[in-house]
Amino acid sequence: MNHFTKRTLLVSLTAALALSTAACGKSSDNNADGGSSSGDTVTLTMMHPWTTPNIDNDVYKARIEQFQKDHPNIVIKTDEVPSAQYKTKLRTLAAANNLADINVVWPGADLAPLVDGKLLEPINELMDTWKDILPESALTPFNVDGQQYAIPTKQTFVDIIYYNKDMLSSVGYDAFPKTYSDFIDLVKKLKASNITPISLGNKEQWPLQSSMLSAIGDRFTGSDFLQKVLTGEAKFTDPEFVSAISVIDELSKLKAFNTDANNMDSVQSQDYLIQGKAAMLFTSSTVDARVRINNEDGDKFGIALFPSVDGGKGDPAKSAGVVQYGIAINSKLDERKQAAAEEFMKYFVSEDLYKDLISNGVVVPAKVDVPEDASPYLKEMLDLTGKGTAPVFDSIIPTQVVSVIQNGLQALTIGRGTPQEVAQDTQAAMDDYLKKK
Amino acid sequence: MHTLKRSKLAIFIGLFPALVIYLGIAIVPIGISFYYSLMDWNGIGSKSFVGFDNYVRMFQDDTFWLSVKNNLLIMVTGLIGQLPLGLVMALLLNKALKGSGFFRTVGFMPVVISSVMVSLIWGMMYNTEYGMLNNLLKFVGLESWQQNWLGDPKWSILSISAAYIWQNVGLYMVMLLAALQNISEEVNEAAELDGATGLRRTWFITLPMIRTTLMVTIVYSISNSFRVFDLIQVLTGGGPAHQTEVMTIHMYNSAFVNLDYGYGSAVSIMILLFSLVVITIANRLGKEKA
Repeated sequence: MNHFTKRTLLVSLTAALALSTAACGKSSDNNADGGSSSGDTVTLTMMHPWTTPNIDNDVYKARIEQFQKDHPNIVIKTDEVPSAQYKTKLRTLAAANNLADINVVWPGADLAPLVDGKLLEPINELMDTWKDILPESALTPFNVDGQQYAIPTKQTFVDIIYYNKDMLSSVGYDAFPKTYSDFIDLVKKLKASNITPISLGNKEQWPLQSSMLSAIGDRFTGSDFLQKVLTGEAKFTDPEFVSAISVIDELSKLKAFNTDANNMDSVQSQDYLIQGKAAMLFTSSTVDARVRINNEDGDKFGIALFPSVDGGKGDPAKSAGVVQYGIAINSKLDERKQAAAEEFMKYFVSEDLYKDLISNGVVVPAKVDVPEDASPYLKEMLDLTGKGTAPVFDSIIPTQVVSVIQNGLQALTIGRGTPQEVAQDTQAAMDDYLKKK
Repeated sequence: MHTLKRSKLAIFIGLFPALVIYLGIAIVPIGISFYYSLMDWNGIGSKSFVGFDNYVRMFQDDTFWLSVKNNLLIMVTGLIGQLPLGLVMALLLNKALKGSGFFRTVGFMPVVISSVMVSLIWGMMYNTEYGMLNNLLKFVGLESWQQNWLGDPKWSILSISAAYIWQNVGLYMVMLLAALQNISEEVNEAAELDGATGLRRTWFITLPMIRTTLMVTIVYSISNSFRVFDLIQVLTGGGPAHQTEVMTIHMYNSAFVNLDYGYGSAVSIMILLFSLVVITIANRLGKEKA
């Protein structure tokens, strides 16, 4: 027994020793940190979703680098989170009261809980910086009750249809169809000649909802519908909206999507289009650089919007757009950090950034001149999207309701459920949300 | 007496740090989860007490029951897939095979690889267009057997099961192999002298001898099946349309994606209850036979 006790003691001692050594290691690290901060260095953390091979992501990252070169006393530590998981991580960190110092946020339904929780710092006093370049329309989405919480860096149109011109003309369409019945005819003809009509990467579930239903819904219901749903004046079960959901059902029944649509992500669906494995892709204007501008065979691809539908209340010239990637500051920073964060914000979101973006073919919410040497693709994009903006479904409708409709739409693609049921389930979730409010 | 007392204190001192850690990261969070499960809370704003509303809502939710069904499926296929397969592999490796060290390493490899990697590998194999499985079927002329393995609700959960079995079978192989090697030579020799060889010896001598380890692997396999998350999250994310959702994914989606922390916590409490119940049943069944 005695022997056993001795051994236990020895083990405990060893453990204690190991722990204290570990602690030593840590404290010496702290010393190193403390040493450099006496030279007035401020370290800011920043979380951003700029990981995919989109051109604008490179622009943002280069700008962060540049900022640090120009401001040797401010260090930006970035946490790069893939965009599919970004919003979830942002919410989780918000729930844990553990947000980064600088965050990238989305407007509307995504911004609301952050503002409710008083996690973001209002930046009203900085607004003079952007008064000449940003129009009211770019700022209001990030403005809640007169307080400005973020500044957007780009304008995204989520409902651009990219199509392979050769494939369309091979079945007799030299231009993208203007009416829904022609569109369905096109799908059938493509199918008959063994071409996958629509490339879909719906594993993350948002493409069907954001890139397809935003536009299709707008054609049927008109642009004030989603706002009315939010106030309870309209319902998802209204026949117009059910018709919009039925489009997804009809396309699924025609087998318009690639068979592995629910196992592919959005980047893979771009690959399908670029590699000529499918004729069309419904996606956001963000991918223009990848599909067309920086692609040698870029002129193979045309862009279009969803065609008009019979008896629809919407304007078929409208594109569903939203300002994106608002830069926002954590409300819990001390004075020095906040000053540094404001400095960063003024530097990062500036005319130079917008110019960089637009010369790379990215649509921006700011009033900056389109450069002379801008890609003709960008001009085409600005032309296509410049005739009015429709709302984007998930920027208006709360997250928990969006997730219900996303699952419903996905169910339709595997032959489960009916458009009517999807509408009812979605409205039930909406009622639930409105009741709690 | 004196020595006993002292050693008890020593045992307590030795266990104390582990106990504190265990309380802190296991017991306390369960308590907090239960507290949250009685709240209506979006994770950020203020909480409001709603009693057992979340539980009522959960029991009326088809998606929850679908996730329970999927969990049970993973559990059953895990039990009948992992354990016999692991046992067979262990029995083979227990013989003085040439290169058994190599095979042991290969068999154990999937356990060491991270789940995300396993998911990515199987995701590629299951791919409908360029996946190995469909191409293999095409190669041997069985094109009619080709499936949309992860996208078709008929196959998706079974496909996940296969990947799950592959990932874990090595662990049970090693556990059972260790048990087999603990059977003393005398027992085997005595059995041989009595004329028990081959299958007879395995059935009447070997299996009863490793009974306790078998029970441990069964309990472990069950509790593991209730924890499966990362594999499915990466392979399908619970889709298409909830078809491959298990309780952990349902909990994650409710709490972190839909901002319903109260409901998510209620689901997590149910996961705990379900695993406790199933493991208790398994333990009882195991004991009665003894």
